[in-house]
Amino acid sequence: MINALRAGAYGIPFMPVGGMWGSDLVSIRPEFFQVMKSPFDGKDVVCVRALVPDYAIVHVQEADAFGNARILGPSYQDALLTRAARKTILTTERIVGTYRLREEPKLTAVPHFLVEAVVELPGGAKPGICYPEYQTVDWDDFRAYQRAVKEDGVPQFAERMLEGRA
Amino acid sequence: MEYGRDYGKPEMMAAAMIREIKEEDVVFHGLASPTPMVAMKAAKALGKEFTYVTLSDGVDHEWTRPPCVASTLTANTYEGSVAAFGLDSIFDLFCSGKGDIAFLSCLQIDKEGRIAMSVLGGDYDHPKLRGPGGAGSATLTQVTPRTIIWKTTHDKRAFVGHVDFATTSPAVDKWFTVITPLCIFRKPPGEKYLRLDALFPYTTLEEVKENTGWEVEEGDAPVLEPPLPEELAAIRRVDVNNILAFEFK
Repeated sequence: MINALRAGAYGIPFMPVGGMWGSDLVSIRPEFFQVMKSPFDGKDVVCVRALVPDYAIVHVQEADAFGNARILGPSYQDALLTRAARKTILTTERIVGTYRLREEPKLTAVPHFLVEAVVELPGGAKPGICYPEYQTVDWDDFRAYQRAVKEDGVPQFAERMLEGRA
Repeated sequence: MEYGRDYGKPEMMAAAMIREIKEEDVVFHGLASPTPMVAMKAAKALGKEFTYVTLSDGVDHEWTRPPCVASTLTANTYEGSVAAFGLDSIFDLFCSGKGDIAFLSCLQIDKEGRIAMSVLGGDYDHPKLRGPGGAGSATLTQVTPRTIIWKTTHDKRAFVGHVDFATTSPAVDKWFTVITPLCIFRKPPGEKYLRLDALFPYTTLEEVKENTGWEVEEGDAPVLEPPLPEELAAIRRVDVNNILAFEFK
């Protein structure tokens, strides 16, 4: 998946990946996995098709109004997602002044020109974790979310989570 | 050391994991992995010099602060790190041959070490149970010199005769180890099947056979030494909230 997103971000149609031998996933998803020979040494290599999501929706701790964003906790593949997607929507714990990003440009994980919209949404990762703002899963809400998914009640769940905040 | 009084299955599994880690190893554990997390923290407490990487981005985090929840993705495995090294970088590291151990788990496993993480029963698009997916294991088992599968239940539902859909399977040329509450199975490089490598002190070959869905060969697998006092002390020091017990409830 990471290499598929990389291929999307690099603008190339597919990408060779390490490992993957011995997985039945390769044969069951020919539209995503293919085996080809390296043109350089003839060795077999597994390839994944590029992924270009229409949207990446990424929650960050700090962003300015233009979409320059800092990820203060673990970043996973969030920055890569914004490179691979056609458009990115940021949700952020808080809007900060652009001066804050100018203080340490290397800490900006997502630059504004990749971002379509910024939504100020404190607590936007709940009931999950957003380090260091809230550091444990809220299990009651998490179970309520699971129930909502099973019972087709996600809009009602979202309404409850967002009540009084719109 | 007496089983049931001084230590139980969680401590034995953790001790077995600690002993797998060698000096200068680069060691990874995945999501929701409290057992290897506690073992790796305890190995740090014992003074083993190795590198600890995981999905939190943390590298050699401050292990002296005990975890409070069984999630291995909290600030606990991140704060005090000397570097932030994300999951994509970890995959690259192992793919380029610079990793040593990956602690991974599974829903089911068979004698060839074929692992089910994606689906159980039915076909791929309509399974009886859809699992969490391979995440890293399909990549990592093929490129990791010593893959270690940990599984906190040892029964015929998990240790089966044949895995129908393998999320991944061992690399022929690499070590592949399975640590259970009863024993250790191992596949050395060049071999195809898991063999009984060691029994834990409180079990027997018969009990392992009764709970394993493939034929466990008769052999002279040694009995592993119980957790040493210093291993138990290290486990308790890093895990005052007994997160280790979580997977065994």
